[in-house]
Amino acid sequence: MLHAENLTKRVTSGERTLTILHDLSLSVAAGESVAILGKSGAGKSTLLGLLAGLDTPSDGELSLFGHPLSRLDEDGRASLRAGRVGFVFQNFQLLPTLSALENVLLPLELSPRAGETDTAAQWLERVGLSERQGHLPKQLSGGEQQRVAIARAFVSDPELVFADEPTGNLDPDTGAQIIDLLFSLNHQVGTTLILVTHDHALARRCDRCLRLIDGHLAAFDPHTLASDTLESEEART
Amino acid sequence: MSNLNARLAMRSLKRDLRAADVRALFVALMLAVAASTMIAFFLDRLERGLERQASQMLGGDVVLEQRDPFDEDLRTELENAGFTLSDQVDLVSMISRGDRFQPASLKAVDDVYPHYGSSRVDLGEGAEQVASGPSPGEAWADPRLAQLIDIEIGDRVQVGQTELTISGIIEREADQSGGFGSFNPRLMLNTADLEATGLVQEGSRVEFEILAAGSPQALANVQGLLNELRREGVEVSDVRVDRPQLGTALERAESYLGIAGLAAVLLAGVAVAMSTRRYVERHLDTAALLRCFGASQRQLVVIFSLQLLGLALVASLVGALLGLAGQAILLWLLAGFLPMTLPPPGIMPLGLGVLTALAVLVGFAGPTLLRIKRVSALKVLRRELDPLPPSAWLVVSVASLVFGGLLWLYSGSLPLAAALLVGGAALLGVLWGISALLLNGVLRGVQSLSGKGPWSQALRLGGRQLARRRQAGLGQLMAFSVTFFAMAMIVLVRGDLLNTWQDQLPDDTPNYFAINIQPSERQDFEDAIGPSAEAQSALYPMVRGRVVAINDQDPREAVHPDARGDNSLRRELNLTWQAELPEGNEIVAGEWFADEEGEGQQQDWMSEVDATAQATPVPISMEDGLAERLGLTLGDQLTFAVGSDEITTEITSLRSLNWDTFRPNFFVIFPPEVLESFGHSYITAFFLPEEEQSLVNELVRDFPGVSLLNVEAILGQVRDVLAQVTRAVELVLILVLLAGVSVLYAALTASRPVRAHESGLLRVFGAGETMISRIQGAEFALLGFASGLLGAALAELATAVLYLYLLDLAPRVHPELWLALPIGGALLIGVIGHGLSRSLRKQAPSASLGLLGEA
Repeated sequence: MLHAENLTKRVTSGERTLTILHDLSLSVAAGESVAILGKSGAGKSTLLGLLAGLDTPSDGELSLFGHPLSRLDEDGRASLRAGRVGFVFQNFQLLPTLSALENVLLPLELSPRAGETDTAAQWLERVGLSERQGHLPKQLSGGEQQRVAIARAFVSDPELVFADEPTGNLDPDTGAQIIDLLFSLNHQVGTTLILVTHDHALARRCDRCLRLIDGHLAAFDPHTLASDTLESEEART
Repeated sequence: MSNLNARLAMRSLKRDLRAADVRALFVALMLAVAASTMIAFFLDRLERGLERQASQMLGGDVVLEQRDPFDEDLRTELENAGFTLSDQVDLVSMISRGDRFQPASLKAVDDVYPHYGSSRVDLGEGAEQVASGPSPGEAWADPRLAQLIDIEIGDRVQVGQTELTISGIIEREADQSGGFGSFNPRLMLNTADLEATGLVQEGSRVEFEILAAGSPQALANVQGLLNELRREGVEVSDVRVDRPQLGTALERAESYLGIAGLAAVLLAGVAVAMSTRRYVERHLDTAALLRCFGASQRQLVVIFSLQLLGLALVASLVGALLGLAGQAILLWLLAGFLPMTLPPPGIMPLGLGVLTALAVLVGFAGPTLLRIKRVSALKVLRRELDPLPPSAWLVVSVASLVFGGLLWLYSGSLPLAAALLVGGAALLGVLWGISALLLNGVLRGVQSLSGKGPWSQALRLGGRQLARRRQAGLGQLMAFSVTFFAMAMIVLVRGDLLNTWQDQLPDDTPNYFAINIQPSERQDFEDAIGPSAEAQSALYPMVRGRVVAINDQDPREAVHPDARGDNSLRRELNLTWQAELPEGNEIVAGEWFADEEGEGQQQDWMSEVDATAQATPVPISMEDGLAERLGLTLGDQLTFAVGSDEITTEITSLRSLNWDTFRPNFFVIFPPEVLESFGHSYITAFFLPEEEQSLVNELVRDFPGVSLLNVEAILGQVRDVLAQVTRAVELVLILVLLAGVSVLYAALTASRPVRAHESGLLRVFGAGETMISRIQGAEFALLGFASGLLGAALAELATAVLYLYLLDLAPRVHPELWLALPIGGALLIGVIGHGLSRSLRKQAPSASLGLLGEA
């Protein structure tokens, strides 16, 4: 499904070159759910961007669905994503001028298929928002907006879903509901899920956990640590 | 796929209509189209209407004139080309009633006469409009003739061998054809009676005319034929070339309206550019998300272009309707001033309007829109990853290129468009540098304010805000100064144009010409009109002479074939002599007659003239237009037949002169003394106020030999046209001002989120509403002040160039501009900007700060 080898990402700021990710290697099998943990600024989002083909590594090789991304240009990577990759973002990223239904419809319109409006409506129903189809994002609560975003991520029946801090902007109760929804849908559909978070309760629901510290990736068992220990450990590092 | 893109584009557009930038974009495009279509519609109709009026003065769209009757073939050819023909015969003959004789200028018209308009004739029940000529057996006399031989309606007059009944007193002829050149009083009769008069005989001085009326298409069809006729010596007047007396005023008005229309389009373009910037910024997130979901760059461009295209089409439709309504209102406003009924609006201007909207969109929004294409999908994770805005140079270059194209389209002249464009681009570069310097200067000046008062503080803080957003501030400064510049220029040009027109035809413009004043009665005549006439031109001696040779060749052989039918070669010219260059004349080549050093030489040719065996040619000064028509230049020799003598002359100077002044003007001026020995009379022009009109009767009685020509009617017609055009100019001015306001609106809308963020932050840090209000007011006022200063400089420069090269007016400095624009700019931008930011100041800081985040 996804295979990364010796990924390195450097950014240049003025005369200084900063290495954010060092020699990362990672394989994700179809149907697997993987959590990447790390503190703020550890490079989680950068890694997610690389894995989803939104950005290019400075060094290393990455292949998605068996296609080496380094051989594809920006448009090639985009068309590889079309209909096969879903996204859930921390800040929801709903288009403010489109209704809930239209937001869910958006990925389908880019890779059209028959009955797309019905499919989108069904997915809104599955996330419990069938009554709110015509509402604009600003008329929805944060939790509702994220549910719309989840429906949008799954609507194109993707093989892989990336989630970037999906509960980061939500209160704990709402966050918990969103996690339940995300994993229940994931199990129903059998999608591969890669999520980035600093919430270990969320990480614990995944098949596998990886931790990003100082640009290095290490396997990690979230069940061995309580959440406060994790936080304090991260605070030390 | 494209269907899908269209659907996606339209759906978002529908939702987007609520956004301020989309509205600003819509309004700007609509205004551009409204301005251009309104002006195009109006100009198109006015042009055709005025051409009709000119046709009326000319008597037809094409007038042919020659000494012999025209043959049938030519008639058929013209009729086949789509013309309606009217025959007219002009001659001078003695008419009599009882024992009173008077030479009169006879004009015989047929039943088709007049093609256009109507004459003002008193048929016995006061003056009325009559759209025909006299019936067979009848004749109309002008008031002067009636007075000279004492006739009234119903009297019979002898014309040649027949008698005609006077059935009307003609106050104003429908046309000016056939006889403005002749100074005898008018008698109009029917062509049917011409044969009976026996006046048209072999050798008699008769002018035959064909007055042809037809469409512009018909006129275009016969251009070849007309040129051929000119070569054969037929005098051809073409309404498009020979617009009597309307020429320069109309040309200037058209240039003005064209410039004003383009100014509106340019302003709207600036507004479009600014709104698009905001529009694109607002849609970068959407674009990034679409990239995330797998949209290609091309797809993004298609989706957003379609969206803007849809917007442009709707805007141009609404704009075109507004333009159509605008020109209808314009015509309704002008109804009293338009003596003619205008043809209905054509379809061409509509196409021009839509084309303008699309061009403005592509030129002013295109490069900015392409920014969307370069958005990175990664932006969904990292908000700060905005693609760089397109370079200012790219935006400006593309916009200039498109605007240059529009200039070309509107002006029809590629060199003019290219020159304006290159000049404009160079100016823009300089402008950018000056703007930066100016902004720095103003900001430094503000920072050095030492006052402790709230306004000094507000000015300092406002200045600092402006300094922080230097690039955006510079952009706005340029946009505002270009706006002020365009608005000021249109106002200035209008003012100077109207002044020039008024100067050209002041209230005391001569309304009478007196011709044929004999040298012996010269002094008495001057004494007679002196007390009553409020203005009088100089008295010019006049000798009639005919050109008999050019450079020792037959004149018709010597000139270009197209000039063979020129009036100057077919008729006697009025020659005069002057020691000084007459008022309103300007030497454009060569030198005016030398007074001192040429003395010896002058003696030479003087003695030779006396001896009539002249070898040294007499120097003459020729009007440059005639010289150009005949293809003559300095050094060419012309031989004139004056009386029984011939005088060989050499062109030593060319003069330009203004034919629109209603003063005696001469094609050829001799130095003093040469012509004095020939029989000559004097001509003068003077203004007689309404209450002094009784003097005319006295003059006619005391100076029976002097011909008095009343040009009040023609003067009135010219003044009417000027009044109409002035109204049109004013309405167009309003449109330009509106377009200017749309720029202000777009610019302020574009900067709204940043300002909201700033005022939110200021609120968080504890600034009160009054303080924020003052800071924002001060910032806008500073921006307005600097823009006004720059706008004034630009307007001054541009008007000077315009006057010199396009409008043909004398350039001048406008000190009032340098005061009005900076202060007015500070007030205008300050008040509008402050007003538009009112809702921002009322917002809770959390809401204002949220404006920059996700919605």
